[in-house]
Amino acid sequence: MNESVASPRTFDELRTIVKSEASILPVGNRTKQPLATDPQASVISLREMKGILEYEPSEFTFTAYAGTTIREVNQALQQRQQYLPFDPMLVDAGATLGGSVGAGLSGPGRFRYGGLRDFVLGVKFLSGDGEVINSGGKVVKNAAGFDIPKLLTGSMGRLGVMVEMTFKVFPMPGSDQTLAVACESLETAMQRMSVAAASAWELDAIDYRPAAKSIFLRVAGPEEVNQILAKKINDLWGADVTELTNGAAVWQAVTELEWSQESRPLAVKVPVHRSVMGPLVDLAGQRTGVDLHFSAAGAVAWLLCDSQDDVDQLDRVLLEQKVAGLVVRGAPARPNIGSWPRTEISLAVKQAMDPISKFPRLFHS
Amino acid sequence: MTSLEGLASIFPPSRFVRDAANQAAFESDGLTAFRAKPRAVVIPETAEEVIAAVRWCHENSVPFVARGSGTSLSGGSLPVADGIVIALNRMNRILEIDPDERIAVVEPGVVNQHVSDATAKHGLYYAPDPSSQSVCTIGGNVAFNSGGAHCLKYGMTSNHVIGCKAVLATGEVVTMGGRSVESVGPDYTGLFCGSEGLFGIGLEITLRLLPKPEKFHTVLVGYQSLQAAGDAVSAVIDSGLLPGALEIMDALAIEAAEAAVACGYPPGAAAVLIVELEGPAEKIEHERKQLDAVLAKTGHFAERVAVDEADRLSIWRGRKSAFSAVGRLSPDFLVQDGVVPRKRLGEALVRIEQLSRESGIRVANVFHAGDGNLHPLIMFDGKQDGALEKAEELAAQLLRLCIDMGGSITGEHGVGVEKRDFLPEMFDATTMEMMERLRLAFDPRLVANPGKMFPGTEAPTLTQNGLHPLEKAGVISRE
Repeated sequence: MNESVASPRTFDELRTIVKSEASILPVGNRTKQPLATDPQASVISLREMKGILEYEPSEFTFTAYAGTTIREVNQALQQRQQYLPFDPMLVDAGATLGGSVGAGLSGPGRFRYGGLRDFVLGVKFLSGDGEVINSGGKVVKNAAGFDIPKLLTGSMGRLGVMVEMTFKVFPMPGSDQTLAVACESLETAMQRMSVAAASAWELDAIDYRPAAKSIFLRVAGPEEVNQILAKKINDLWGADVTELTNGAAVWQAVTELEWSQESRPLAVKVPVHRSVMGPLVDLAGQRTGVDLHFSAAGAVAWLLCDSQDDVDQLDRVLLEQKVAGLVVRGAPARPNIGSWPRTEISLAVKQAMDPISKFPRLFHS
Repeated sequence: MTSLEGLASIFPPSRFVRDAANQAAFESDGLTAFRAKPRAVVIPETAEEVIAAVRWCHENSVPFVARGSGTSLSGGSLPVADGIVIALNRMNRILEIDPDERIAVVEPGVVNQHVSDATAKHGLYYAPDPSSQSVCTIGGNVAFNSGGAHCLKYGMTSNHVIGCKAVLATGEVVTMGGRSVESVGPDYTGLFCGSEGLFGIGLEITLRLLPKPEKFHTVLVGYQSLQAAGDAVSAVIDSGLLPGALEIMDALAIEAAEAAVACGYPPGAAAVLIVELEGPAEKIEHERKQLDAVLAKTGHFAERVAVDEADRLSIWRGRKSAFSAVGRLSPDFLVQDGVVPRKRLGEALVRIEQLSRESGIRVANVFHAGDGNLHPLIMFDGKQDGALEKAEELAAQLLRLCIDMGGSITGEHGVGVEKRDFLPEMFDATTMEMMERLRLAFDPRLVANPGKMFPGTEAPTLTQNGLHPLEKAGVISRE
């Protein structure tokens, strides 16, 4: 990794660098290393441009610099019994707000109220020529102009330098309870996830780990209500249900991408649908170097891999299944694997956002 | 002028409309103050026909406007004079419902309410509920990122659209997003939502469905002042509850609703607040106690709890009919949907009242209080000379008020024709320029819905006013 990373402390310093460098890649704390590296571009870290600028609990919004860590945000929100309900990823690893938007990652909690994309309201960013763009807004409801904050979600620093962002937040549920439900086969797990997801229980999170032969459910709300809902789940699936006492650890292992018994350097995100689950379970069953976890009731697969060889095999499966994957940790040959659509419009959008090609190109097949 | 022969060859004569009588139906939309005559209306029945029509328009540089049910309140589906209207009402198939993945794939002409109707047997529903939901289409909802009464908890249309196959203004057919709620790479689906028809036409839209709430708890509370109702909203929010809906109506709006549907709201109330909790029965049982305790301290003089579903719907009937009901108080009205920070709602209402008094124009207020989304109804009589202009002047002052307070000029209706001159007041020049560049990336020839969102030269024709026929019938309302 290129270690000569500039970390401007002020807006003017940042702008000067953006204007003077030929090619730049903005990053945060580089917790998603494969997205925060480029052979040609100068890497600029926003980590020193940090701090919460405005926080209005009664508005359900806050505005902070891009370099603010999610940990700091979570602490500030918690003091007012509020939170980001999508379970931001890699919090302990040091993820920043800007890096999280750029990578477009959400954790298990995205099941209930939506992902990061649904909570980012506004983004102030610098274009490649150093112009300031104020996209979106600072109120929870806004339909004026193009929704550029959503376009920036997942843009991996390739469309602009995000400087400040405004998020929507929600009141925290009183407490939560995690249950593990044993599922002998993929079919059972899929069937039970469907039941759980469509139920009136309003679960907070529904995850599935094939190797553990279990789905994990989180109910959130007042404690006495959680107990009643837990009992309903118990009544339905009986002896297969275990109420976990260390529920938080289950979810934290997912958001930190650290659930595997082994230390696996590579981590891959794959948005999936039901027909892709089987092939991924088969792959993980065949390869000891691959550890698989499904989140959001099976809408996203996370794979921890030992080696590039494992990633190559995964790439092959994703190409067959015509889905895209993104390597977010480790040092892969390339971060984009599987089948990424190559469209004229994505090139035109990149050109519109970055006419002087200040930023590295977007990923394609 | 370009010959329409090539376009005509795509459609059978019955679906290529050029006679004045049939075209008249397409001259206006929910913003009845404007009218424009298109050169032709085409009525595709397949995606291939839509694609062929868009490609023809692009190749011949002829402007087109995609249209569903024409309920836009910002003039979003107003035709371009001498352009083409692509009417999508026959593209109304629900292509797929997958109860296991909780998604529905629909064509753009599918009516919003029909999605929930079709998925009800699986215990699922489609959350965004603009009050025109019984007629408005998903294609229009996507184009304008429509809202409704439940946005605080569930977000707007864009939070429920996870994929979209679309024909862009250049004729390129792309698939954005897919069947997963998650994605990798820039979120083009999110960008497409709310692009007001300037990027292209959605052909197959993938919607996320939610389980129907097991129980609702709906309370109607009467206050002797608007300020007290506003304070009650803050108290509910500060208590940590996350209601599905938090709505306020002022005295004038109540009066109109009462006259129209005899909704039985507390007599003499200066304002009513509707709070709705929804979720698992046990949770609602718990939360309603919390809500009771909060409301008890808000100085209300009347309270009505819906005892069953019929009672709940009757409470909502007053709210949902308020806008068409205002038609009883005034022959014409304009409605704005600006947003202010919630804590400044009270201040905004005082200012609206002041401006109303100064201008001598009556303004009724109905609003989504939970998310600061105002809906001032500005009443006027279009038959009086200059009345519309005066009403528009007041509307402009209200929009500027929202901008000055750090809010938005539109929470859910979109910019359209109506507010296009105000977008540059909300966004600075560099941001406007970036949006214009994005527009050109999708539509270098400016054929897709020109004259909307951006200030421009394409001027619509002013026309005589009055309620939309569907609005008079109480079918749709300007929420």
